[in-house]
Amino acid sequence: MIKFFREFHPHTLRIIALAIVLMLTILFFASQIDGYFSPRMLNRIATSVAVILPIAIGQAMVVISRNIDLSVGSIVGISAYLIGDYLGTHPDIHPVIVVGMALALGSLCGAINGALVAYGRVPSIIVTLGTLALFRTYLVEYSGARSITTSGLPEWLVDLPQRTIFSIGSFDMRLTVAMSLVAAIVFWVALSRLRVARKLYAVGSNPDAAIIAGINSSLVVFVSFVLSGMLAGLAGFMFLAKFGNITVVAGLGFELKSVAAVVVGGVNIFGGSGSIIGVVIGTVLVDTIDNSLTRWAIVSEFWREALLGMLIMIAVATDTFMARSFGRMKGKTK
Amino acid sequence: MTAALSDIFLSVLPGEIHAIVGENGAGKSTLIKVITGVYQPDAGEILHDGKPVTIRNTHEAQGLGIAAMYQEPMVFPDLDVAENIFISHRNIGVLMNWAKLYESSEEVISRLGVTLDARRAASGLTLAEQQTVEIARALSLNVKVLIMDEPTASLSAHEVERLLSIAKALKARGVAVLYISHRLDEIFRIADRVTVLRDGKLISTRPIAQVTHDSMVKDMVGRALDTFATKTKANEHGDLLLSVENLGLEGIFRGVTFDIHKGEVLCFAGLVGSRRTDVGLAIFGISPATQGTIKFAGYSVTVSTPQQAMELGIAYVSEDRRKMGLAMTMPIYANASLPSLKKFLRHFGLIDRTAEDAMAESYRERLSIRSPDVKIEVGKLSGGNQQKVMLAKWLETKPRLLIFDEPTRGVDVGAKAEVHNIIRELAKQGVAVLVISSDLPEVMALADRVLVMREGQQMGIFDISDCSQERVIALATGQKAEVSMA
Repeated sequence: MIKFFREFHPHTLRIIALAIVLMLTILFFASQIDGYFSPRMLNRIATSVAVILPIAIGQAMVVISRNIDLSVGSIVGISAYLIGDYLGTHPDIHPVIVVGMALALGSLCGAINGALVAYGRVPSIIVTLGTLALFRTYLVEYSGARSITTSGLPEWLVDLPQRTIFSIGSFDMRLTVAMSLVAAIVFWVALSRLRVARKLYAVGSNPDAAIIAGINSSLVVFVSFVLSGMLAGLAGFMFLAKFGNITVVAGLGFELKSVAAVVVGGVNIFGGSGSIIGVVIGTVLVDTIDNSLTRWAIVSEFWREALLGMLIMIAVATDTFMARSFGRMKGKTK
Repeated sequence: MTAALSDIFLSVLPGEIHAIVGENGAGKSTLIKVITGVYQPDAGEILHDGKPVTIRNTHEAQGLGIAAMYQEPMVFPDLDVAENIFISHRNIGVLMNWAKLYESSEEVISRLGVTLDARRAASGLTLAEQQTVEIARALSLNVKVLIMDEPTASLSAHEVERLLSIAKALKARGVAVLYISHRLDEIFRIADRVTVLRDGKLISTRPIAQVTHDSMVKDMVGRALDTFATKTKANEHGDLLLSVENLGLEGIFRGVTFDIHKGEVLCFAGLVGSRRTDVGLAIFGISPATQGTIKFAGYSVTVSTPQQAMELGIAYVSEDRRKMGLAMTMPIYANASLPSLKKFLRHFGLIDRTAEDAMAESYRERLSIRSPDVKIEVGKLSGGNQQKVMLAKWLETKPRLLIFDEPTRGVDVGAKAEVHNIIRELAKQGVAVLVISSDLPEVMALADRVLVMREGQQMGIFDISDCSQERVIALATGQKAEVSMA
């Protein structure tokens, strides 16, 4: 049995283990919550994952480059609010342009982070902790305590979450879910096969060696932050579509959720390794737990954040432990 | 499952220098890790003063008086020398008595017969000085068994002498020294007994008097090997490729002038800290020179980034695999293709993984990199194999000028001979090779011409036919009195 598993690459093994944990989690909640296996629950989790997944993908790229982006939640808030606000006065803009605006807005925020980290040489944890607060404060000031409501939004946007591409039985493939999945597939291929992605891994794995290999590591780090911001902007648009009612606290706490998804998904918190497949499963796991807890009678909703925090720690501890055991195994098989 | 080590019987006596030799992957590192409690043995036992002991971690090993010093010394760069020496002491009280700390540090250092300012920050120490700190740390903990793993791998001739005398000083104090080295001449000079390992098995343990150079090499590789086959004749040189005149970098080095032709091997000799590496880094554009001119293939060039150097066809293989060389979390193929990724791009800018794997696979065979496949993370390979991956990575850029910094640092005899052959082969193909080496026999074996540096200055450049180890040492140390040392 052990021999069978050793055939796999450790990363593959990690993903298989993660998928098993996900299945066990689902089975656990199914035993606890009545009617858990309903299409409604499935749709509910899928549309929720659709919002988080782009953020997690962006976060993954930043973490692979040996950085962290704590400002994603605030970027989601800015994007959701500003786009909603603008649509209130300009309801006739083409949907594609609206999405483009969300991406651009997010990219701009990401570029601020990226410039400060890559060219200003300020540690990313400090920069994004700063912009986490700055972006949010800007939003609070800008909003003047008003909220965006569904009534101010164009009809196509309000209907968007219900837009279904196809249905399998009573599970509906929503457009937003499809958008997220497409983003995941695009970034999956890109991260495994694009030259710039290889540079991203190299910079995260060994910055000095990357420079000697002729890589412009500052540019790579900058780009990873811009992409993270861009994807957070996309998530902001989906957030707006999903909820319709946007207050200044939109997207609060998404940084924790995205870091949890990324780390649980097997991205090395010290940079240099990780895969989008892992991130997708990690996101689904984190969000399934999050959504299921709100329906679980025994546990208070307030435990959700605590559980996320615990998940992060368990994931990193497990990885460290596994890395050590593999090191030992390798020592023996050599 | 094959065992990393099996049926090892090793005895170490107080006041003995016991050498352990073997090729990379022979199990030396694993053996050390078992002795120092990093790994637990599956079978067998360890006796300490005749009593069986279980060593669960390095802390317990330390309690038994067992300490190890590795190839890359473990010092805390932000602490000073004294703090580094006393870092593991538990009986110095809650409050630091700084005066006493410095005093005891100086006392320990003097016991080693060397001088080192206890107040200096560890970050500014040379590798040799960092080793001294590690040995002093072990000595201050009343070490009974000190394991030295490749201590001289990156030391200059002068520093090697100092280290060997330190080892002898330890021996005289009744410390057992387990001395692991690829440099056989050192072993003949200081060891009392030699143990040879091969493929995780004990081959022999003999008093040094019963060992010859050839018998040891034969035990190590399992066959007779013409290791030190020196070059038969100077390579036929082609056209002038690189011409450097009066190159200098403010406060680092100055007045470096040399030519290098296609197919020529030029060796930079000198002590560690003589700034040879900085000249290499300047030519490669990492820390560009501020004075002087560089002509490449007849044209005046300014190289201010590694990208520019690579475009000219210059490759730089770093001496520091861990820090500047390899991305340890990435697989062999990704490391090998990193500087030349452009070549593997296909439709939509996607990397052609098949071609990439084929390339890595071909280097795995050509350089005999020991690994089941090219998808293994580089961090999991042994030092010699990592060195070969680094070489593969730069060979793939098809360089016209290869700057090779300490090509065989910490590499075993077998792999060393392989690397030397590769360098000669490259030269034969018309590549200009600039080798920076602290290993004098290596310089003598490889070079067509030798350039000697000392404290940032060029001391001389001459043909191999006019070169002797004594002459290099005399120039490198600037002390004629030490000429007879080697």
